[in-house]
This record gives sequence, C-alpha cells and structure tokens, in this order.
Amino acid sequence: MEETRLIEQSKQGDEEAFAILVKNYKTKVFNLAYSFTRNRETADDLTQEVFIKVYYALEKFRFKSKFGTWLYRIAVNHIKDHLRKHGKERHISIDALSREPSLSENEIQKKERVQETVDRKKLLYHALRSLPEKHQIILTLRDIQGHSYEDIAGILKLSPGTVDSRLHRARKMLRKKIAPFFSQEGDENEM
Amino acid sequence: MKCKTVETFLSKDLDGLLSSMEKNSLEEHLRGCSSCKKKRDEYVFIAETLGSEDFPEAKPYFWERLQPRLKESRKYAFWSEWKQWSLRAVPVSIVFVAVLALGLMLFLPQPADELSQTGDLLLNNPPLPETVILLEAETGENKSIQLIFMAMEEKPDLRRYIP
Repeated sequence: MEETRLIEQSKQGDEEAFAILVKNYKTKVFNLAYSFTRNRETADDLTQEVFIKVYYALEKFRFKSKFGTWLYRIAVNHIKDHLRKHGKERHISIDALSREPSLSENEIQKKERVQETVDRKKLLYHALRSLPEKHQIILTLRDIQGHSYEDIAGILKLSPGTVDSRLHRARKMLRKKIAPFFSQEGDENEM
Repeated sequence: MKCKTVETFLSKDLDGLLSSMEKNSLEEHLRGCSSCKKKRDEYVFIAETLGSEDFPEAKPYFWERLQPRLKESRKYAFWSEWKQWSLRAVPVSIVFVAVLALGLMLFLPQPADELSQTGDLLLNNPPLPETVILLEAETGENKSIQLIFMAMEEKPDLRRYIP
C-alpha cells in the first residue's frame, strides 16, 4: 500500500496501517538507536518509544518533508534526550588517554594494557561517544547510517553547507582522538 | 598543496566529493608527505570501520510488544494533554482577570453622588443671584468677605440693636 495512504489511515486511528509503517521503518530506527547506544535492549526500548511519539505526532505531519526524514528527526531528538540523561557515564577514560599520549612508564603500561584488552574498533566507538553530541550525531548519520547530505540537512534542519563543515570537523576531531593509539600500533608493527 | 588543506580534502575524498584535478594534486602531495599519508590511513580506518558496522536484529514481536504500550499511553494521553492545557491556562486566566478588572475600573460609569437639599439648591436652583457670585468666588477668603457684606446689606434694621 502507498505510504501516503498508510499515513492518512494511521492519522484516522487505523492501527493496521500504522503497524505496516512500523514494520517498514522499525529496523532503520532500531539501527539508529543502536548506533548511539550500542546496547540491544536500550535500542529496542528507544525504538518503541519513538514509534509511540510518532503515533501521537502523526496528526501534525503535513507532508512538507518525506515521512522518513520526519520520523528520523523525531528519533534523533528522542535519542538525543536519552543520551543527555544517560550518556555521560559512557564517556570513559579514552578522553583522558588521548589528551596525554604516552610519557611516564606507568602511563605507557596502562595504555598497553588498554590496547591489549580493547581492540581498535572498540576504541574508535569509545572515541566517537566522547565527541560533543552534535558531532556524534552527524558522524552516526553519515558514516554509520550512510545518509546523504540532503537527508541529514532535512533531519537536523541544517543547511547543506553547515552539514558539510560540521561533518569535516567531526571527522577531524575523531581522527585526532584515535591518532595517538594508531601511531603506537604503527610503531609496534614496525618493530 | 599545503598540509593544512589536505585534511579537508581527505575528508571530502571519503564522500567522493573531489574533482579529478583535486584528487590528482592530493595524491601527489601524499606521495611526498608521510604525516599526511598517516592521516589518510586514519580517515580510511574510520570510514571503513564505521561503515561496516554489524547491527543486531531488533527483538522479536516488535509490534505485539508495541501495541499494548500504545493502548496504555492512549489512556494517559487525554489527561496529560488536559494537564498541559490547564497549566497554560492558569497564567492566561490571571492576565485575563487582571485586564477585565482594570477595564471595569476605567470604563464603568460611576454612580452619581446624591446631592443634599442645600447642594441641589445651590448648584441647580440658586435662590438668590448673590449665591451665584458667592459660588463663583475664587478663594474662600473672598467668599467669607462677600458673605459678611451681604449679611450687612440684608435687613440692617434687624441686626442693629435699638434701645
């Protein structure tokens, strides 16, 4: 069934039509929530909350943007609220480590231990989570979710120019955070 | 190309936004600059790692779990909406009452004060033309003086003692 019709029927309280919309978009919303939280339970819960919000906000949807973009905007805002409430404890020691690369023997040993236990991928995700919220969001939408610049501009209500500059700044910040760990691994490999 | 501008080019290259000329000059710079080459490796690592993330499946029976939550939230939707409106209505009603009270005070016609018999006589039907002069007199002093003179002029025979 056509999406516009499904939306119209859902607006009039048709649960079956809304169920189809949920089926079409649940994976996308779940993946978005998982990208931010990296926890299946939390991502599932957030996805359900997003669809409850969407159900009650549907009557305000005037087809001015794509339904997907509108739904993503609600999802991003809801996840942002969640991160503000629960996200701070996730910004682990990676921040402190990347600010002071190497020097004392103790610190080197600590770093080595970290690198033994945490692989580069995990390190990258930790670094991503330690970025400012707006940079986390834009990197998740572009590099993890693969949205186009235009879609991101629509979801975040930004101009394409702002999307471009914010994305490059976010990538630069992320690269700087992982650079000390990269160089150390490179040195180890060279030896 | 300078190392400072290379970083923006590297990021743009990930999105395929470089022209062939820009790409050529970037490659040329990278051949001779190991520090920028290292940056490129880091950018490629970021893009490849983030782009190849494996997402777990959403938990099963999503709609079946969502449906009761929707029904439950519908119960509270009316009350929460009412609560929202009532919270907004409090300051609005205070302002409305204040404006109404002010309007009533300013524009409602005041009830006329009832005049005493003397006042009515003096204001509307002055019995003597002299009283008009008296009422028009500017100061209280003038009024008193005029009263004295008037009293003296009226019935002088009654006031004098005739032995």
